[in-house]
Amino acid sequence: MNNNLEHLKKEYMETPMPEELDFMIRKSLKEGRNTMKKKTRGKNIGVIAASAAAAIVVFTAGINVSPVFASTMSKIPVIGNVVKVLTFKEYVYNDGNHNADIKVPSIEGLENKDLQNSLNEKYLAENKKLYEEFEADMEEMKKNGDGHLGVDSGYEVKTDTDKILSVGRYVVNMVGSSSTTMKYDTIDKENEILITMPSLFKDESYVDVISENIKEQMLQQKKEDENKTYWVEGIENEGITERFEKISAEQNFYITLEGKLVISFDKYEVAPGYMGIVEFEIPTNVISDILVSGEYIK
Amino acid sequence: MDKKNIEEQITEYVLKYKENHYRLAYSYVKNADDALDIVQESVYKAICSKDSIIDPGYLKTWFYRILVNTSIDFIRRNRKTEAMDEEIIINIDSGTADNYENFDLKKALDNLPDNYRTIVVLRYFEDLKFEEIAEILNENLNTVKTRLYKSLKILRIEMEDYEEV
Repeated sequence: MNNNLEHLKKEYMETPMPEELDFMIRKSLKEGRNTMKKKTRGKNIGVIAASAAAAIVVFTAGINVSPVFASTMSKIPVIGNVVKVLTFKEYVYNDGNHNADIKVPSIEGLENKDLQNSLNEKYLAENKKLYEEFEADMEEMKKNGDGHLGVDSGYEVKTDTDKILSVGRYVVNMVGSSSTTMKYDTIDKENEILITMPSLFKDESYVDVISENIKEQMLQQKKEDENKTYWVEGIENEGITERFEKISAEQNFYITLEGKLVISFDKYEVAPGYMGIVEFEIPTNVISDILVSGEYIK
Repeated sequence: MDKKNIEEQITEYVLKYKENHYRLAYSYVKNADDALDIVQESVYKAICSKDSIIDPGYLKTWFYRILVNTSIDFIRRNRKTEAMDEEIIINIDSGTADNYENFDLKKALDNLPDNYRTIVVLRYFEDLKFEEIAEILNENLNTVKTRLYKSLKILRIEMEDYEEV
């Protein structure tokens, strides 16, 4: 080979390798496998979620149908802003190369102790698992040449009105670059129930209605800004065969202060990694026909 | 095809050749964070689209194709805001005569259109066969050879193995 080119090749071959490379690839492999598993497992989850949701649907239907029921409900004292989120526990670890900061949120002030406990137990279990994963990853990393590893988890209150409380829990994983995942819970503070996607709508048609609207928004955004892209029919993406078809029945969502429904997707869920977490606000007129009531979403 | 089997093959392959893949991604974006992102995203895409592999014999070219497309996709989206690279600045600083000459060639290579530069990198740095490159880029063999020849002309490189082209 030509001398100059040989020189360039040498330089190319000497590209410094980040110490996290091996670890990062193993992470991506795991993420990919999890996504595939989720897709095949989806159906079973749907059944469980639907039955859990059914109980709540019956309850909300009760409010709308029976005037007696409605007046009984109104006699329950409104606790309003007494319901709040606190940091229950914090796990902190830092040895220079590896650090973890995990804040466990805790919902306080609900009269409905079953709901409160089940949420708080869920938060504690999630974060305990996160910390255990961090410890396991750290061990694995040390075995494979070591590198930097960080995990930061906490919560943010998206919406807090007299009526609803939307709390988002985030997890930021930092290995070289960072990735964030978000999970939301929205509570009806007056009625002390957990608002789920199925509970908001009259029937299951919301899955298709919202999915179609999101697809339209994806294409529209791409049209307006060439730098945005989504894995969706109508946008060319080589190497991707999994396109966004539908939201799941229990898709991540929250309700804004203005009473708008926002659907949230994690990194890689519907778009390449550089798009990060993506959110779509669903215009209320698109779903107004199928909403159970205009109570939460306006 | 046995799905478990192909997943294991992908896993083994991406771990074994991680440094090659990282180098290639780095040659596009010239910084570690973005290169890591591209490799990660390619690995993720590979696992999620594993069903699209028909013959595991094509695993290498199939993965390179994902990697090249992800890289080109990435720089297209980020080119608008591209600032002068730290590495180039360092190179300018330490310019002995010899280095400077090489820097010119390096710059010329970097300035080639992506579909030309990719061929030079894959052929001479990654030592891939013409047939493999043609498959990765989804072009016919003659197009690949012509582009390489043109690239070398632009770079003013006289090749001893010119005949091979």
